[in-house]
Amino acid sequence: MTTVAEPKAPRTSKIKNLPSPITGQELVLVGVIVILWAALAVSTPAFLTAGSIQPLLVATAPIALVGVGMTIVIITGGIDVSVGGAIMVCSVITAKTLVGSGVNLGVAVLISIIAGAVLGLVNGVLIAYGRVHAIIITFGTANLFMFLGLRIFGSGTVNGIPGTLGFFGRGPDGRTLGVPHAFLATVLITAAAWWYLRHTAGGRHFFAIGGDAQAARLAGVRVQRRVLLAYVITGVLVGLASCFVIAQGTSTLDQSVGSGKELAVIAAVVIGGTSIMGGRGSVLGTMLGALLVQTVSSGVTQLGWRSQLSDLFVGIFIIVAVGADLLRARARRNR
Amino acid sequence: MRPRFAAAVALTATAALALTGCTKKNDDTAASGDATGDKTYKVAFVPKLQGVPYFEAMNAGGKEAAAALGNVEWLYQGPTQADAAAQADIVRSYIQQKVDALIVAPNDPDSMAPLLQQAKDAGIHVATADTDAPSSVREVFVNQATAQGIGEGLTDSLLTAMGGKGKYAIVSCGQTAENLNSWIEVQKAYTKTKYPDAEIVDIVYAGEDQAKATQMATDLMNAHPDLTGLVGECTSSAPGVAQAVKDAGKIGKVFTVGLGTPQSMKPYLTDKSSTAAILWDVENLGYLTAWAGAQLAQGKPFTASNNVSSDLSAVAYTEADKMLLLGPALAITDQNVDQFNY
Repeated sequence: MTTVAEPKAPRTSKIKNLPSPITGQELVLVGVIVILWAALAVSTPAFLTAGSIQPLLVATAPIALVGVGMTIVIITGGIDVSVGGAIMVCSVITAKTLVGSGVNLGVAVLISIIAGAVLGLVNGVLIAYGRVHAIIITFGTANLFMFLGLRIFGSGTVNGIPGTLGFFGRGPDGRTLGVPHAFLATVLITAAAWWYLRHTAGGRHFFAIGGDAQAARLAGVRVQRRVLLAYVITGVLVGLASCFVIAQGTSTLDQSVGSGKELAVIAAVVIGGTSIMGGRGSVLGTMLGALLVQTVSSGVTQLGWRSQLSDLFVGIFIIVAVGADLLRARARRNR
Repeated sequence: MRPRFAAAVALTATAALALTGCTKKNDDTAASGDATGDKTYKVAFVPKLQGVPYFEAMNAGGKEAAAALGNVEWLYQGPTQADAAAQADIVRSYIQQKVDALIVAPNDPDSMAPLLQQAKDAGIHVATADTDAPSSVREVFVNQATAQGIGEGLTDSLLTAMGGKGKYAIVSCGQTAENLNSWIEVQKAYTKTKYPDAEIVDIVYAGEDQAKATQMATDLMNAHPDLTGLVGECTSSAPGVAQAVKDAGKIGKVFTVGLGTPQSMKPYLTDKSSTAAILWDVENLGYLTAWAGAQLAQGKPFTASNNVSSDLSAVAYTEADKMLLLGPALAITDQNVDQFNY
């Protein structure tokens, strides 16, 4: 669907075969989210108030942000199941630094991003140059990262984390003019990634690799460098997202941090319409997917429904999204 | 089609693996000093998960008991996530090691019961501590406090702050956690009889995820604008509900209590976003657990009142339900929080 050529001859020679700026999946997601928000606004006392929407956007941010990196990785035909472990490592390093030496916000974010970038580099090098499938490598590194994270934790939680990262939190320090900083940063990064993937040669190369890595290589794409870059980008975003995670938690960080987040992120990416087989996808869809999942989770709580129903709904969304993707793929093949 | 199918299978397999938990084992043993001549009894304790302050404090108490008793080797190992399958693996490994006494705080009492039977068949004395497996062959349950004591302690602390009336909600953790659910049952019944003007409006489950517990508490406050109380039922949701109240700027309007460890609750007790943490002396619980394991291993019976140590001079044992009771629940407030270093 995304690689359909424009029927009319393009006016500028530069823009050829560009996908439409918004995909069908994204329109459907926007529709579903609008309907859900409207329904929740009617059926709950305060869903559509600042006190409810602001924390919802804050909670969406880390998943959507890591989802941007995950989308790029999946577009190249890879996957990164180590992001949960990486979040654990980055957040425990950052939290311990905050407690131990009281660094300021900028330094804390920088430390977390550097830690994330290093972990992403490990994944990227092993996958790009090791020629083993990403799922195997990242499954291995997921366990290594968790081991590393637990070692850094020692045998206790990190207590008394100062409020330095409150800039990204749920409280009043985390907003400017009512807009949560964590969400704003996520939107800006998503927009930048959207533009990069759509309008630059380098960005299009990710799609080429996911479509057919061999053909991309023959066409002159530096496949290994591109693949490496995808995992490093993911690592950097994991670093920033870890700061959001600390900010949203309590003043204590325990070892369950990051646990299961790889599945939450992959769910957002898949619901967003990115093909799990690579070659097609959109960071905008991922952001909408993350927003939909958090809307369902908050909605279920605010409606007073049983907590486990949100798992059921997310499961249905994933299956519907993957099913729609497979149907589209079949339609393309039969054309 | 084929590679797509393979990829889908691979993804599913990974998801399944990730769900069952990727566990690393991290042995932590504390052998007791001199056991020359006498037999040294291996007493193993499998917590729900290790690395959290709660069970680490139990471990510290267990080590202390082993050192004091002299003839006990205290073994301590748990899964890195509160996962029943990972915990079962550790229990199996202790059965193979033929420890003398095996004490478990089961994540899932029902699936633990057949394993305890297996241990008993292998000649190992089995017990539970912290969380019971009531329908199992365990010989004793080392109980930190009765469900009655904890449920009533939580309810009384919260409703005193709420002025004896109003709506409150509970943020619990694992949905199958036997002890959490038994406390919630007491909270429901006790609130109804003692505080007829108070009402529990919802009970939600956040797993062990602090950020999720905080978000759920935020959602609950939005769902019920007249909510004046929140209970964090476990050590990750207790600071979570307090953080949510603080973030929403509702300190003094919405009161919280919870089952929190002292050091993690200290900032919230200090800024009044949490009224009280209900707990017990966890190190003493570990001490009592190790002592009970040693008694079982040596075939010594429990008496109605047991002199365990100077701190635990009269631990009650009830024959009917085979239960050792640590004592009454403890309310930790900003006044006494500094007495606890975990």
